[in-house]
Amino acid sequence: MNSSLIIVEILVALLGLGVLLADLWLPVERRRLLGWVAAAGVAVVFFVGMKDAAEVAYAFAAPGAKTGMYVLDGLAVFFKQFFLLAALLVILMTTEYAPKLGSGVSEFYSLVLFALLGMLFAASANDLVLLFAALELITITFVVLNSFRRDQTASIEAGVKYLILGATASAFMVFGMALVFGAAGTTNFNEMAAVQKAMGGSPIFLAGLVMVLAGLFFKMSLVPFQAWAPDVYQGSPAPATAFLAVGSKAAGVVLLLRLLFGAVPEIAARWQHVLGGLAALTILYGSLCAIPQRSIKRLLGYSSIANAGYLLLGVVAMSKAGASGVLFYVSGYLFTVLAAFTVVSVILARTESDDLSSLNGLSQRSPALAGALAVAMASLAGVPPMAGFVGKFLLLKPMVPLAAADPFLACVLVAALVGVVISMYYYFGIVRAAYWGQGVADLTPIPTSWAVRVALLIGVAGILWLGILPDALIQASTPAVEVLKPQAPVAQQHSGDR
Amino acid sequence: MSIQAGLGHYLVVSALLFCLGLLGVVARRNLLVIYMGLELMLNSANLALVAFSRFNNNLNGQVMVFFVITVAAAEVAVGLALIVALYRRRQTAHVEDLVSLKL
Repeated sequence: MNSSLIIVEILVALLGLGVLLADLWLPVERRRLLGWVAAAGVAVVFFVGMKDAAEVAYAFAAPGAKTGMYVLDGLAVFFKQFFLLAALLVILMTTEYAPKLGSGVSEFYSLVLFALLGMLFAASANDLVLLFAALELITITFVVLNSFRRDQTASIEAGVKYLILGATASAFMVFGMALVFGAAGTTNFNEMAAVQKAMGGSPIFLAGLVMVLAGLFFKMSLVPFQAWAPDVYQGSPAPATAFLAVGSKAAGVVLLLRLLFGAVPEIAARWQHVLGGLAALTILYGSLCAIPQRSIKRLLGYSSIANAGYLLLGVVAMSKAGASGVLFYVSGYLFTVLAAFTVVSVILARTESDDLSSLNGLSQRSPALAGALAVAMASLAGVPPMAGFVGKFLLLKPMVPLAAADPFLACVLVAALVGVVISMYYYFGIVRAAYWGQGVADLTPIPTSWAVRVALLIGVAGILWLGILPDALIQASTPAVEVLKPQAPVAQQHSGDR
Repeated sequence: MSIQAGLGHYLVVSALLFCLGLLGVVARRNLLVIYMGLELMLNSANLALVAFSRFNNNLNGQVMVFFVITVAAAEVAVGLALIVALYRRRQTAHVEDLVSLKL
C-alpha cells in the first residue's frame, strides 16, 4: 500500500500523540504552550501536507482490487482542508478558554486532534467499515470533550446524553451495516454502486440503508434525531461545542454525500420526497424552537439543527449543483460558527452563565468582539453580502426548477424560506443584546489575546470573502463534486408508492 | 428429527436481541442497565454479521465484527468512566436526575 496517501492522517495522529506525551514532561504552568504547538502543527499540515488530488487514488485495497476502503479524490481533499482549518480555529479558541479547563488542557488539545483524525478519515471513507470506524472515533472523542469540565454537572450531563444517544445511533448503524452487507455481499461503495439496481427491490438492503442513514442523521442532528443537540451544545465547553457544530456535522455531510450519491444514487433519487420532508421539518423545528431561548449556546444548538436542514436541502436537489452548494454552505458555516463561538468562549471564559444578558454592553466592553459577533449573526441569518447569503442562495437555486414541477418540493422550498425569515428574529436578538442590551453592571473592557484576534480575523475575513467574492470557492467546489453521481428521480410513474 | 439452523433463524434471533436491547435503552431508568442494553444491540449486530458471513461465504463480515468489538470496548471504557464521574458528583446513576439542562 502506498502510505503517502494517508500522510495527512499519519501526521495528525503523531501530533496528537506528541501533545499527549509532551504533557507528561512539561511543568504545569507551561502546558498552555502545547496549544501553540498543536495549532502550529495543524497549520503546517494544512499548508504543506495537502496536495490537490490529481486523480482518484485508493488505499487499504485488497491486492489487485480496483477500489479500496480509503479514497483520495477532490471531495476528500476539499473536506480535509475544511477539517484542518476548523481544528486550527478551535485550538486557537481553546487557548483563550484554557484557564477554565485546568491542568488537563493538553489532553483537550490532543482529543481535538484525535477527533480531527476521525474526520479526516471520514472525508475519505469509501467503505462502510471505514465509515463506522471514523464516525466512532469522532463520537467517542466528543463524549470526552463534551464532559471535559468534570467540575460542572451540566458538562457531565451533556457527555452522558451524547454517549447514550450516540451509542444508540451507532448500534442502529452497525445493525444496518450488517443488513446491507448481507444483502449486497459487500460494504464497498463502488461495489455497492454496481449492484444497486438489483438491490433496489431488496427489503433487507433498504432497511439496512435506512438504519445507516439514521446514524448519519444523528451526526448531522436532523429531525427526528436532533433531540441531543440543544442539551449537548448547552452543557459542553464552548470550544468543544464549536468543533461539534462544525466538524462533526460536516463529517456527517461528507459521508451522507458519499453514501447517497456515490454508492446508491438510484435509491437516493427514489427517496427525494422523504428527504425533502425531513429537511423542511428540521428547518422549521430548529427555527421555531430557537425563538424562546435565553442561553446563547442552546440557541446556537437550535440554529445548528436548522442549518442541518438547509444542508440536507442541497442533497434533496439530487444534482451536482446541489452538492456543490452543500460544500459552499458548509464552508461559510465553518467561518461563521467559529467566529461566533470564539466570541462566546471569550465571554464564557470570564463568566459562568451563558445567558443572553451576559452579552449586554459587549459593544462598549470590546467593539471588536461585538463587531465580529454581529457579522457572524448576519451571515447565519443570510444577510447579504455575507457567506450565509450566498450559501443559502446556492442551496435554494437548484430547488426552484424542481419546486416548479413538484408541489411537494414547492412546500419544502416555502418552509425553507419561512425558516430564513424566522431565523432573522433570533439572530438579531443576539446582536441586540450585544449592542443595545440594558442594565449593564460590568463595563470593564475585555482584553483579547492575539490567538483570539487571529481566529476572529480568519472567521470574519472568511465570511466576507465568501460573501463578496464567492467565485473562487464555487470554482473549487464544482470539481470536488465531480466524483459524485447524483441521479434525477425518474419521472413520476409511481407517485403512489412513495 | 432435528432442525437445521438456517440464515433466517440467526437473523430472527439477532433481530430479537436488537429489539430487547432497544427496549432496555428506552424503558429502563438506570444508566448501567441502559448501557447493557446498548451492548446487547451492538452484539446482536455482530451475530447478524457473522451469520451473513457464514452463509454468504464472505469473510469480510467476520472482520467487521472485530471492528465493532473494539469500538464497543472503547465506548464502554469511556462510558463507565463518565457514569462514575456523574455518580461522584450527583450520587445518582438514574436518567430522571439528569435535569440540569433545560430551556
